[in-house]
Amino acid sequence: MSEKIKILYLDDEPDNLLGFKASLRLDYQILTAVNVPQALDCLETHPDIRVVFCDQRMPGKTGVDFFEEIRISHPLPIRIMLTAYTDVEAIIDAINKGNIFRFVKKPWTDADIIGAIEEANKFYVANSMLAIKNHELQKAYDELNKFAYSVSHDIRGPLSGILGAINLANEIDDVEEMKEMLFLMKKSVKKMDAYVLSMHDYYSLQRGELKITEIDFNKVIDELKAIYTVLARVNGVKFNISITQDGIFRSDYAPLRLVFNNLLSNAFKYQDRDSKNKSVEVIVEIEKSVATIYVKDTGIGILGSHVGEIFNLFYRSNSLEVGSGFGLYNVRSALMKLNGQIEVQSVLHQGTTFKVTIPSI
Amino acid sequence: MNIKFSFIIIDDSELDCFVTKKFLERSYENLVIKTFQNANHALEVIRENPGNNSPTVILLDLQMPFMNGFDFVEEFEKFPADIQKNYRIAVLTILTSASNPTDIYKILTYKAVNSIIEKPLTREKLLSILS
Repeated sequence: MSEKIKILYLDDEPDNLLGFKASLRLDYQILTAVNVPQALDCLETHPDIRVVFCDQRMPGKTGVDFFEEIRISHPLPIRIMLTAYTDVEAIIDAINKGNIFRFVKKPWTDADIIGAIEEANKFYVANSMLAIKNHELQKAYDELNKFAYSVSHDIRGPLSGILGAINLANEIDDVEEMKEMLFLMKKSVKKMDAYVLSMHDYYSLQRGELKITEIDFNKVIDELKAIYTVLARVNGVKFNISITQDGIFRSDYAPLRLVFNNLLSNAFKYQDRDSKNKSVEVIVEIEKSVATIYVKDTGIGILGSHVGEIFNLFYRSNSLEVGSGFGLYNVRSALMKLNGQIEVQSVLHQGTTFKVTIPSI
Repeated sequence: MNIKFSFIIIDDSELDCFVTKKFLERSYENLVIKTFQNANHALEVIRENPGNNSPTVILLDLQMPFMNGFDFVEEFEKFPADIQKNYRIAVLTILTSASNPTDIYKILTYKAVNSIIEKPLTREKLLSILS
């Protein structure tokens, strides 16, 4: 361990503190206090104290009282009683009320203290790991909750719409009206399909291992270009791609493609329908083993106050029906896997530019 | 059959707006129906047209991005009483096992909200709240 373990020793006799510090200061960082307020102060300013030693007999508060207090206010440090006072009642109190980890009898030997510290430290580390794991678990659980809710809503939403339409279909005789409704039903089905696909992306990103290959960006883009060129033509959007690749770039193809696909899909999706000058531009530059990618659109832009949230799961900043709330979250997860970064610049009603940087692996 | 209500439909799904509107049109003649996929737009329109003497029924979806049904009702209840009195809100929503049941009860605690219809919509469900 690079940092010395921090230890606090509370005793009303300065000589004891001095002796303790003298023999242990080389191996540990020793903090001392001669009274309870000083000790509490010390715990406040050093939240990373791992072990607290305390004498039992002190004027005012006893060691048991002190431990009982910090057990609530500072639960993390491991508590050890260090005392010559071996009254059975006090020992029982120290265990039951002060919840101490060890009881070390004065006069102490270095071996007693060092043994107690090392064991206490192991206990402290195990506890902290448990706290971290618990926190991670809670986070995963919250996300799962959100996920279950959103999945059931986002799939049942379009389904209930389609069911409603089928109920209505029984009453419709007019073919044109029926066709209009079928068109809307198809949109709902497509939306559900896209949702299921993104959900699959989400899971493969969370679970999958990296598969590193040499990446030719022209090939990555070519595949998507075919799809988006059609979309560009249909919607009257200018679509430009420029790729400059010098040298070898190594990365995982699938998440890389996902990043391009989602950013492009958004760039076309969030165009301003009434605008005359619609364009989407992709610039890819690979230099010194770093890929810098720009995806620029002249779309509706993102409200400044929403920019911070667009990468959150299920966040949809736009009231248009098109988003699932998966897209940019998946982009960010993919980039995290690839050690990449993403920045966004957006002006409402003018457009959005995403800048992505990914290092070669 | 004639009815003296107007309608506002607020649902982010184009299909749901269409279906609700058609069910209404097939049930009553000469209806004034406005549909909105964005609850905020609906609020603006209500603010600018405080309503005439014919009462308006708002058919409101709960789960919408940007401004959801709850946000809408909160904002609506800030309107002056003489605007509010011209409107009645009926909530149209899916009920899922995963959705929090207290959510559904919460929406009924707003005094502007009169009833809830579970999607998918049928003519019977729609007419039941209008009688």
